[in-house]
Amino acid sequence: MNENNPIPPHIPSSAPPVPQPHATPPLPPVPPVSSHAPKPLGENPEERAPITSPIQAVEAILRQPRRVMYQLQQPGAGALMIYLMLVALFCAVVYGVVVGTFSMHEQLWIAPVKIAGGMLVSAFICLPSLYIFACLSGSRARLAEIYGLVMGMLMLTTILLIGFAPVAWLFSQSTESVNWMGTLHLIFWFIAALFGLRFLNTAFSHSQAKSNAGFNTWVVIFMLVVVQMTTALRPIVGSSDKFFPTEKKFFLSYWADCLKDSAEKNNYERSNDQRR
Amino acid sequence: MQGEPANVAGRPERPRLARLSLLLRGEVKSLEEWSAQWDSRRILSHVGIIIVGAGLYGAAMGCWRDPMQALYTAIKFPLIILLTAAANAMLNAMLAPLLGLNIPFRQSFLAILMSFTIAGAILGSFAPLVAFVIWNSPPMTADLRQSAGPYAFILLTFVVIIAFAGITSNLRLLQLLRHLGGRKSVALCVLLAWLAGNLFFGTQLSWILRPFIGAPGLKVEFLRRDAFKGNFYETIFRTTVQVFTFD
Repeated sequence: MNENNPIPPHIPSSAPPVPQPHATPPLPPVPPVSSHAPKPLGENPEERAPITSPIQAVEAILRQPRRVMYQLQQPGAGALMIYLMLVALFCAVVYGVVVGTFSMHEQLWIAPVKIAGGMLVSAFICLPSLYIFACLSGSRARLAEIYGLVMGMLMLTTILLIGFAPVAWLFSQSTESVNWMGTLHLIFWFIAALFGLRFLNTAFSHSQAKSNAGFNTWVVIFMLVVVQMTTALRPIVGSSDKFFPTEKKFFLSYWADCLKDSAEKNNYERSNDQRR
Repeated sequence: MQGEPANVAGRPERPRLARLSLLLRGEVKSLEEWSAQWDSRRILSHVGIIIVGAGLYGAAMGCWRDPMQALYTAIKFPLIILLTAAANAMLNAMLAPLLGLNIPFRQSFLAILMSFTIAGAILGSFAPLVAFVIWNSPPMTADLRQSAGPYAFILLTFVVIIAFAGITSNLRLLQLLRHLGGRKSVALCVLLAWLAGNLFFGTQLSWILRPFIGAPGLKVEFLRRDAFKGNFYETIFRTTVQVFTFD
């Protein structure tokens, strides 16, 4: 088990049996009370093994996120940062194709371009403020390291989105409602982003930051930027004859308009059915 | 190099970013060391951060009105910060010993410059966000009914970010003053006195250098024709009198 992955690893057979919750367990030897300070990165020799390929980067971020955090602090971490970014872009493009299958035709390339581009632009918009918040919190992380961690967060988020892709595809083939599909994709993104942000938060706690307030504020800003980006680059799920929308809107007013349109459409269809 | 921060793994940051990181973290021992001597390269780098950071923020603010306004505001914003630091340097240096903090002119000026540098860096880091908010807003129109909502939201965003930058930089300045002076009450008194002077001067300077966004009906210009007619406080006084006399 590690800080980012709460699932315990395989317990060897020689390990003592885990007591059942309802059984009265014998009093175990009391371990020394440890502080809540995280273990320093690189303590485990496995964390010091270099990551030399994109496949290894994927495996490491899922199974040994501390290894990624440690490697990002080492000299020559540039290659790892490139792997993280490339894998994130690749996964975003793949998920974008799945999103595009709802409308088909030109959305098959427009949706991947908008999703991958929007995600990267959102990260770059928020990167300077994350660095400033990190420094204000007392963190000693370098700008390059923070960039690498943000790329790691994006990679983890998009990998999880790939995991959701079959479910998303199935739903996109069985519904005609753009609102429903949009909501579903947002829910999937939200769940995936929570894991990505948890990775970033764990890394943040290893950078000697004294407070999490700045990081939490940044998380809110980042989520708002990404959600607004989906509105700025609309339509991603549905189709349009223009690549970018001509009308500027904030996401809340756009969502309200979508709900209103959907309700009007439903009323119209209902009245048509009644006439028939 | 003393005061040069290294990250957790011991790798040093690039010198300029390292200085900025140290400044933002508010490591008072290093800041005291920095303020103890004139180092022209360090001062230039602080001025550079203010020009770039506040300039980017100003450009992001002004671009909602017009690209030309973005350029003007990018020049005016750092100008206000630097002119305020320079114009009040003498007064601030005199106020500190009078209020019980015995520091020389150099130390008071550099401490204030460092706090302005922190504010500049914070403003610069939020410039992409502000530009994104403006890119997502409907264009500014003379019809207030159409743009009242976005206008209010954008102004609120500007104010929140500027307030955050101001509060954070002053908290760091207070930490440094406490370290230099020892007593919390003395440090607080000096900070409040400096703040009063800087706000008084800075507000009038901002009034002269208006507009920063500009009303949609008015021409885009660097300075209003009546820039030097009247002052901010006079206008506030007149408006207050009008309100109470129902004029």
